[in-house]
Amino acid sequence: MVDFLVHRDGDHVGVAVRDIKKNEHVSGKTVDGQFSYELDAVQDIPLGHKIALRDIQKGEKIVEYGEIIGVATDNIAKGAHVHVHNIRSLRWG
Amino acid sequence: MKREILAYRRPDGSVGVRNYVLILPIDDISNAVAEAVEKIVNGTLAIPHPYGRLQFGKDLELFFKTLIGTGLNPNVAAVVVIGVEPKWTCKVAEEIAKSGKWVEAFWVEGFGQLRTIERAARTAVKFVEDATNLKRETVDLSDLIVSLKCGESDTTSGLGANRVVGRFTERFLEMSGTVLFGETTELTGAEHILIQRIKSEQERQKFIRMFDEYQQLVKSQGVDLLGSQPTQGNIAGGLSTIEEKALGNLQKIGNTMVDGVLEPAERPPAKGLYFMNTSSAAAEAVTLFAAAGAAIHLFPTGQGNPIGNPIVPVIKITANPKTAQCMFEHIDVDVSDLLRLKISLDEATERLFSRVVETACGRFVKAEILNHREFVPTKLYPSA
Repeated sequence: MVDFLVHRDGDHVGVAVRDIKKNEHVSGKTVDGQFSYELDAVQDIPLGHKIALRDIQKGEKIVEYGEIIGVATDNIAKGAHVHVHNIRSLRWG
Repeated sequence: MKREILAYRRPDGSVGVRNYVLILPIDDISNAVAEAVEKIVNGTLAIPHPYGRLQFGKDLELFFKTLIGTGLNPNVAAVVVIGVEPKWTCKVAEEIAKSGKWVEAFWVEGFGQLRTIERAARTAVKFVEDATNLKRETVDLSDLIVSLKCGESDTTSGLGANRVVGRFTERFLEMSGTVLFGETTELTGAEHILIQRIKSEQERQKFIRMFDEYQQLVKSQGVDLLGSQPTQGNIAGGLSTIEEKALGNLQKIGNTMVDGVLEPAERPPAKGLYFMNTSSAAAEAVTLFAAAGAAIHLFPTGQGNPIGNPIVPVIKITANPKTAQCMFEHIDVDVSDLLRLKISLDEATERLFSRVVETACGRFVKAEILNHREFVPTKLYPSA
């Protein structure tokens, strides 16, 4: 069983597949089951929301699906919630 | 995988999974007649809509294409066309008749509403008798056109439901099936991937033109699409940017190559995978796919979307365990086990495949049971 899934190894974020609580130690895998990850959640992450798999600097491009999905608008700590409060689109807005 | 289905073969060779006698209004002011016929003749289906008056140019062309295509859809056995005046009404009926399908036209001018209802209803009675006497026959599943569009997406769509549809698409194309997908707006941020997947340079240029036209439209309006793309429902489900949404969206075609690019409501010229220039609004896109001949629609959803279509069964697939529970009456295929890696992608795809076969053979989907009949022609610009 996993707590979060990762589209491609090397992505900056995973996706919670259950409601994760702050301070929980969580484990995840890539969707093909090939790669495993372990980390501590530093915030609540609701099911379907993203968790940072590593520290991300403000202004850094964020990768999911092996592709750029936007840019960090703040420093994001490993294990933190990644969502519209700290990421924005590079295309619209 | 079971490939044989029991379905209806139409005179033009197309294969349908339902057998409707359609009451097709040509304009908004003929809805009352169409609905009256539906009410008094059991086995008919009226599809009211708000358009058809003072449209012009490309918008009028698309409107006709949508109505004619809907009548030609293989899930329709016969069509009663009803308009306020004879010219446009007959034009639509004549185009449908070319396929060999049973069709007759009625107009209100010169008769009045009540006599039009009576005349149309008498024809509808005969069409229902004939249509209900048609037998399903054994055909190959790959003779169907299947369309794809997701809605109320969240991150579980890209992780689960859309990937299952993507694997289905890979298998169905291997079987020589035909698949339509679209959503021009929702490819923003993933268009570079799709462009590389289009087989010919000519079709690739066609897609780039369609995509750029849309981007120009957004810019020319000076609007900020953030807030509408991703939608509030998408954001609640964890999607944060259009790029992320687009990458999830594109999972629906798996690792396939695109044979061609179609205008809205255009019928695919051959078997294979086709992109159609469509809105990302669910009912509008499904209406355009149906007008191009889709017999079954696959609809992955994250947060849950109730959409249906009057003539095409819309199969709902979700990987979100919460949605599968709280919106149970809308979900046909629950693949949430995939999210915790309890089943493989192939096992989840097999579940979908079985449901497609059952649906093709006559099993109702939830949207049909719940009476979802959203028929929404795309309007390109204001009427004159």
